[in-house]
Amino acid sequence: MRKMKQGLVHSRGDGRISRRAFIGVTAGATAALSFGTFIRSGLGAAKVNVLTWSNTLRAMDDVLREQAKQYTKEKGVEVSFEFINQTDLPAKTAAAVESGAGPDIITLWSDGPHLHAKALVDVDDVTASLGKELKGWTNIGKDIAIVGKNWKAVPWGIIPIALTYREDWLKEVGYSTFPDTWDELLAASKKLKDKGHPVGFSLGRAIGDGNQFHYPLLWAFGGAEAKKDGKTVAINSPETAKAVDYRRKLYQAGETEDVFAWDDAANNRAFLAGAVSVTVNAASIYWAAKKDAPPLREVTNHSFFPKGPAGRFGYSTAISLGIFKFSKAQKEAKAFIKWLLEPKQYSAWMGIGEGMMAGLLNYYEDDPVWKKDPKLEVIRQIPKYVRMPGYPAPPSRPAAEAMIKFVIVNMFARAAKGMATAETIKIAEQELKEVYGKA
Amino acid sequence: MSIARAERLAARPWAARLVKPEALTGYGLISPAVFLMLVLLAYPFVLAVSISLTDRVLGEPGKFVWLENFLKLLQDSLFRQTVWNSFVYTISTVFLKLVLGIILALLLNQEMPYRNLVRGALLLPWIVPTSLSVLTWLWMFDSLFSVVNYILLGLGLISKKIPWLGDPFWAMVSVIIVNTWRGLPFFAVSILAGLMTIPRELYEAAETDGARAPRQFWHITLPLLQPVIAVVVLFSTIWTFADFQIVYILTHGGPINATQIFATMAYDVALVAGRIGEGSAISLFLFPALLVVIILLLRYLRRE
Repeated sequence: MRKMKQGLVHSRGDGRISRRAFIGVTAGATAALSFGTFIRSGLGAAKVNVLTWSNTLRAMDDVLREQAKQYTKEKGVEVSFEFINQTDLPAKTAAAVESGAGPDIITLWSDGPHLHAKALVDVDDVTASLGKELKGWTNIGKDIAIVGKNWKAVPWGIIPIALTYREDWLKEVGYSTFPDTWDELLAASKKLKDKGHPVGFSLGRAIGDGNQFHYPLLWAFGGAEAKKDGKTVAINSPETAKAVDYRRKLYQAGETEDVFAWDDAANNRAFLAGAVSVTVNAASIYWAAKKDAPPLREVTNHSFFPKGPAGRFGYSTAISLGIFKFSKAQKEAKAFIKWLLEPKQYSAWMGIGEGMMAGLLNYYEDDPVWKKDPKLEVIRQIPKYVRMPGYPAPPSRPAAEAMIKFVIVNMFARAAKGMATAETIKIAEQELKEVYGKA
Repeated sequence: MSIARAERLAARPWAARLVKPEALTGYGLISPAVFLMLVLLAYPFVLAVSISLTDRVLGEPGKFVWLENFLKLLQDSLFRQTVWNSFVYTISTVFLKLVLGIILALLLNQEMPYRNLVRGALLLPWIVPTSLSVLTWLWMFDSLFSVVNYILLGLGLISKKIPWLGDPFWAMVSVIIVNTWRGLPFFAVSILAGLMTIPRELYEAAETDGARAPRQFWHITLPLLQPVIAVVVLFSTIWTFADFQIVYILTHGGPINATQIFATMAYDVALVAGRIGEGSAISLFLFPALLVVIILLLRYLRRE
């Protein structure tokens, strides 16, 4: 050992390395190492890095990992997926946009293509050829990904959000099918709670479930946060007031105060524990029950959101794949995205999710997965009713900010806590004006 | 210095003055530290300040708007609530940590079996990564499965379960409890260290004069602990104002913004909604006030 050291650096003779020699050697080694990395990254074949969320259903991520390997083998282009927590995605995206460095392909949440349009390359060529081959894009696909005139991302899929309910308990109180209107749901909720089976829709900080329940409720009564121009705040309306009154009644008749504490995972747990009879969710509860509670799965079913005076609405998270302008592998990234959305790959991925994810190309409405289980039929049709926050205006930065600030959910939550309708709407209006005023 | 070299330098006095080898070595030795300070502290700070003076949104350069972000924030109802929450959160946790910290330190200063073991164990909340321990608390406060409620109900102390994270009041109580739990070891250990430096003779003299324990505490312990207390309170105040993890994991600022504090709001505005100019302004809002507090406290300490 001592000999080796002496051979490597100038020794002080006593076997210890002199400080100067130490610094020299470490600096040299670092430089050599980084130069090596530089050479490799500069001269090697293009590599496509994809940053995406780690799915609640790990099996779906495993399919992607396999497909990336397969792609590399077939096309000779290296592709790697990095999976991170969904809640970390905004921060990572922000860092990439700001620093101009990061993954080539990024997974964008619903309004992402609109928020980050300037950092993304146009992908019209990819969407055009996919649209031609696969019966065109759904409306929601176009809504999220077209900014101005161009496609800023390729719509990847939508996580259909339905009402998940207990058939057996609804039968117990006299319903053989799920209530079709909001008023009927109110009546049913009261009966359910009286039997000890409350319903539950998060009024807390559940960025997914809370917003996914309350925007459609607002729209179904004819309310909206802004006008179609996306600038004029329009929350203060008789329609909104009706929705708020309704929400207060629904809380009092059918829920417990647990709903104020719920995050996105809490209602899944409550449903699986048999503590609530109806909640709002993706097919993930149904999926989880397969392993954890098979008897529960037998009596669990899905329903559309009820109809209101203004119609039937839904809000589900849709995801899309964008390519950063700073990417050095744009051509390769486009080719990979196109390949990923072709039936052979896409059906395998979507199929394993069993309703967790639906395609945004019309072709995938007839995917074999939907015929696997009649309880998925509702899930298949959900995307038809989906609108995005900010509706009737297109997705925008103010709409995104209003959602992350829970303006709409909190408006309903204050009412459920007992605040007068006019007062809570006024607070929401003020908050919306502050948000929209900056646009 | 070799004689030959000294002669060379003597021949060029101006050069010798300018590049004294000792001075040069001195600068050389502190330069890594200065460099690190500049890169790791000054640069991000200056950057944050400069961003906060622009209307920058993610991916766009933005333009200089002077103090507009700060003035707009003053008008913002959500921000005003955030300021209020932050003060409630910080003042109550620092107060609780201080009082409990002193009590704990006094107890640990007593003779008892396994004293060192107990002192070591005290540090556990501080050693465990915050995000992990807060996840445990999240379970303990769960609306359905709360073990805290289970125990309290079982003991007959409450008649119906407490909505820990679901009620604006209780949510604030919850984050205060967790922050106090997490920060207490820092207070207790620092104050304990201060206690151990107080000479025994002072107490012996006081006893001779007939002073009982409370008076001894008031006239000896507390005055001599003051510098330590000043430092821990200062640090803890800064840390608590900047706290993020506990609130983000437990309540994410809810319900109905009841626990929204500076860092969580800044995160939502800057990183999720992409308004980084305003987000920086939120996180820097208290900086001037904190700076004044820091200067006053440091002055006080120097006088001590």
